[in-house]
Amino acid sequence: MTMQLGDARTGKLIGNIVGFGRALRRAGVPTDASRIALAVDAALAVGLQERGDLGAALETVLVSREQDRGVFRELFDAYFRNPELAQKLLAQMLPKAPGAEPARRRPRVSEALAPPRRRQEAADEELRFDAAMTASELRRLRYADFNQLSASEYRLVIRLACELALPVPQLPGRRSRPGARGARLYFPGAMRQAARTGGELLCLPRLARRRQPLPLLLLVDVSGSMERYARLLLAFLHAATHSVQGRRVRRDVFAFGTGLSDLTPAFRLHDVDAMLLAAGARIADFAGGTRLGAALAELRERHARRLVGRRTLVLLISDGLDTGEPEQLNAELAWLRRRCRRLLWLNPLLRYEGYAPLARGAAALHAQADAMLAVHNLDSLEALAGSLQRLLAPR
Amino acid sequence: MNTPFDSIDATAQALEGAGYYADRRLATAVFLALRLQRPLLLEGEPGVGKTELAKSLAQALQRALLRLQCYDGLELREALYEWNYAAQVLHMRAAESQHLHADAIEREVYQERYLIRRPLLQALQAAPPGAVLLIDELDRADEPFEAFLLEYLGEYQVSIPEIGTVRAAAVPVTILTSNRTRELHDAVKRRCLYHWLDYPERERELAIVRAQVPEAGAALSAQVADFVGWLRRQPFSHAFQRAPGIAESVEWAKALVALDALALDPELVESTAGILFKQREDVAALTRDLAAQLLVPESA
Repeated sequence: MTMQLGDARTGKLIGNIVGFGRALRRAGVPTDASRIALAVDAALAVGLQERGDLGAALETVLVSREQDRGVFRELFDAYFRNPELAQKLLAQMLPKAPGAEPARRRPRVSEALAPPRRRQEAADEELRFDAAMTASELRRLRYADFNQLSASEYRLVIRLACELALPVPQLPGRRSRPGARGARLYFPGAMRQAARTGGELLCLPRLARRRQPLPLLLLVDVSGSMERYARLLLAFLHAATHSVQGRRVRRDVFAFGTGLSDLTPAFRLHDVDAMLLAAGARIADFAGGTRLGAALAELRERHARRLVGRRTLVLLISDGLDTGEPEQLNAELAWLRRRCRRLLWLNPLLRYEGYAPLARGAAALHAQADAMLAVHNLDSLEALAGSLQRLLAPR
Repeated sequence: MNTPFDSIDATAQALEGAGYYADRRLATAVFLALRLQRPLLLEGEPGVGKTELAKSLAQALQRALLRLQCYDGLELREALYEWNYAAQVLHMRAAESQHLHADAIEREVYQERYLIRRPLLQALQAAPPGAVLLIDELDRADEPFEAFLLEYLGEYQVSIPEIGTVRAAAVPVTILTSNRTRELHDAVKRRCLYHWLDYPERERELAIVRAQVPEAGAALSAQVADFVGWLRRQPFSHAFQRAPGIAESVEWAKALVALDALALDPELVESTAGILFKQREDVAALTRDLAAQLLVPESA
């Protein structure tokens, strides 16, 4: 069966594929008009005799991520067998599809829109988000532990933390740029110089290695004991490590508790509130227990390639209160350490004077990590930048 | 629209003729890539035959295969073109001694013979019907390179300041592969057709082993396919870190033939585990007992 454009059947086919494309989009698979046009071409190219072929053809055009294949196949089966059933299926999927939910207000927006509170309610929250804050209050917040803040103080501190800078150290990467010094000659430049002086090579520009910010791998403990720190540190790191001197930093982010959740897509969102919302939706076990060893094993099995050629700087944020097997934890930490440039343990429990890493998990972390840094108040966050530079200086 | 293969079946057959056993979904993707002249992006676990597909396709189409292996820090001078500067300098000195005009010197120095063509430029300049271009492990290259590729894949032309614009004489058949160490940019994906390669089902794996290692008997090949399939079905966290790919099955079959084995036995499995697995822990996990457990139901 060959089909010509203008054939009545073709018209129906186009309508069907356009409708199917829209259904896909509602189910959260990104498609656009040019893709759908290509899908029509593809359908015409394979013909309509075999439903399986048509499915494979549409899939190869309309799907571009492994994780969308399941949704595609279910929807395809439903749609081309029984469009009504597909509608019902879609209705089930709808609450999950991004954009389909009633637009939720971001916390910042709600804050802005909320009616002014009455005196009695505001009595215990004397803090205001405006310039009325006195210097001594700011000073107190600077040294206050994140875990001992009131709700509104906590929100304010998140905002303040997002203002702090944490320049990710830059080291020579593999790409090069023209410079005065370097191991290789920069011939295009030399030729241009020579052309100016009648073919005489008077100076030899060099290729220097371009400096690149180290790729980051953030591992954030979201167990019950860490809940507040995790949220705040996610916000802080999201804002502070976005780019260095205009160069984007490669960041891979995972939350761990009893399992591992990939927060990298959430971290790509620009807005902090949106990021926290998306991250929250991805974390399966917020405020559960901690099994760091098992989580690291999952990282090794499924995401080992996220660690870029021993350059990655790993920031592990945890209080070290681990309930898993210490042997496994030790082995996994040793693996992680072999694969990264530095493994730094950011530990909020360091706030206690005389803290010693005695818990089993903490002892393993202490033995394996290159350094342990405090992250329990704004002051310690500010000090992080200096510590990073020092720790990454060539030994 | 002249397509080398006029149906999905013809595509699958041609690939099979080149020693590649594609399932129907993959054959459909390849057929469409040729028909619609779009690049084909292949993703999948290491060792499922992504690179091999490009090689076999080149063979089936009887076109040259141009391969660009991506890596961290890949730059245009390694991917696209570079001038042969040393030769240019020599030429410039020689031309200067003849007291030529500056324009003449320039023309002399930037001749095409001093242009070193790298795979992406070679692909554009290949004589019709064009070449097969394999851009391997694109996820290893960095984002600036991906941005360049976006333009290249969209227009199939590049401009070289000293020469001008080079346009593809024939659009190369482009295969991109990725191991998903990072997500590729959406814009690149939108230019491409996409196919996720799974491990082959038993029949297809058996066919591959039989074709690649004809010396292995039917019984031994079947055992190899079954055993490797079983290893892959194991949940990772319980047993093995890296599942063996198709290349490993083929290597294993070759090794067994070299050892004059006619059938698998536990000792043999244990002593050749280093071919299936490349991780110390995995080799250790594949014990004699485990192998024995596995081989029993098949011999019974």
